[in-house]
Amino acid sequence: MKRNTIVIGITFVILATFAWAGWANWMYRKQAAEHALASASRAELIPVTPGDVPDGGASLTGKPAPNFTLEDLSGKKVSLSSFKGKPLLINFWATWCGPCKIETPWLVEIQNEYGPKGLQIIGISTEGDDLKPDDKEGWAHDKTAIAKFVKEEHMQYTVLINGDSLATEYGGLDAMPTSVYVDKDGKVVAMQLGISSKEDMEAHIRKAMGEGQ
Amino acid sequence: MRAARKAGEFLLICTFVTIACANSLCQESLNTSPGRSLVKTEAVEYLFPEQVSIPAGKPSPVALHFRIHQNLHINSHTPRAEYLIPTVFSVPEASGVKLAGAAYPAGTDFTLPADPDEKLSVYTGDFTIQAKMVATPGNHLVEAKLRYQACDQTQCLPPKTITVPIDVIGK
Repeated sequence: MKRNTIVIGITFVILATFAWAGWANWMYRKQAAEHALASASRAELIPVTPGDVPDGGASLTGKPAPNFTLEDLSGKKVSLSSFKGKPLLINFWATWCGPCKIETPWLVEIQNEYGPKGLQIIGISTEGDDLKPDDKEGWAHDKTAIAKFVKEEHMQYTVLINGDSLATEYGGLDAMPTSVYVDKDGKVVAMQLGISSKEDMEAHIRKAMGEGQ
Repeated sequence: MRAARKAGEFLLICTFVTIACANSLCQESLNTSPGRSLVKTEAVEYLFPEQVSIPAGKPSPVALHFRIHQNLHINSHTPRAEYLIPTVFSVPEASGVKLAGAAYPAGTDFTLPADPDEKLSVYTGDFTIQAKMVATPGNHLVEAKLRYQACDQTQCLPPKTITVPIDVIGK
């Protein structure tokens, strides 16, 4: 009788342990699934490799660079077509963007080195604030910040403003920096999202200049 | 007696099998991975509280919990460089609730692989802002705001302001 009681007791403990383990496991997996579902709908910057563009933006590689006309800091209108026949690096950047701040000195060096060979860098400020044309205060604020950045970083290449207006044509421009490499025929040879290295940029530039082909 | 023991053993085996099956069913039903959506929405999610009850007319502490999407970081309230956009919580005027103050967590040091020498002050993962709110008597559906600017290790998203909905009851 006593032995039976012990066996029943042990069996009950084992069963209870199994039941508890099952319940705990179910709860854990339920929470994990809910978390995964929540994460799936949240923002994500897509890891990129040189030449890639995000799913949301159409790849421009192999296509003619979309033309545009933007103003520089002095208010002068500048069109992409005015650089016809030149290999270009169109660099979309923003004053609040840390990686842009890191790569700007590389761009200055690249312009100094490859400029005499024909390369032209066009830096286009893309602040992401979608200012309306009549928002004078907003534009003044943006221009002050951009001018300060340009001066501090010694950006001696062409700098234009209001890159946000080119988002549709240039693959979304969801994140900064975005670099578009254009050959002398006006065709995009590479598009790079995010910062990589000066060496990567130079490799794309040589491609745009038709070197090493 | 032997028949009873056999029946007991059978019952025991059946119970084990049932529990094991139930366990595996639970696992399978929850194991289905959701379709990965790359639609860009918010880098920062407001977690809780949805509703707080505070004494009317007195500055009262309210802890606001947020979650930053995996692999992203946002600048802390006090970024080290002037050009970086700080994380700021605000409450609109005329909402029946005033923000008497906000204590932000200290940022953690972070360096970008492209510039290991420059330390950034950022938030990652979950973070909490300790707000002090003053409510007039009554129920106020406050649409507070959180402004931030998010990046990953190589690129940055534009600055964003999200709505932080809180039902504040002043008693």
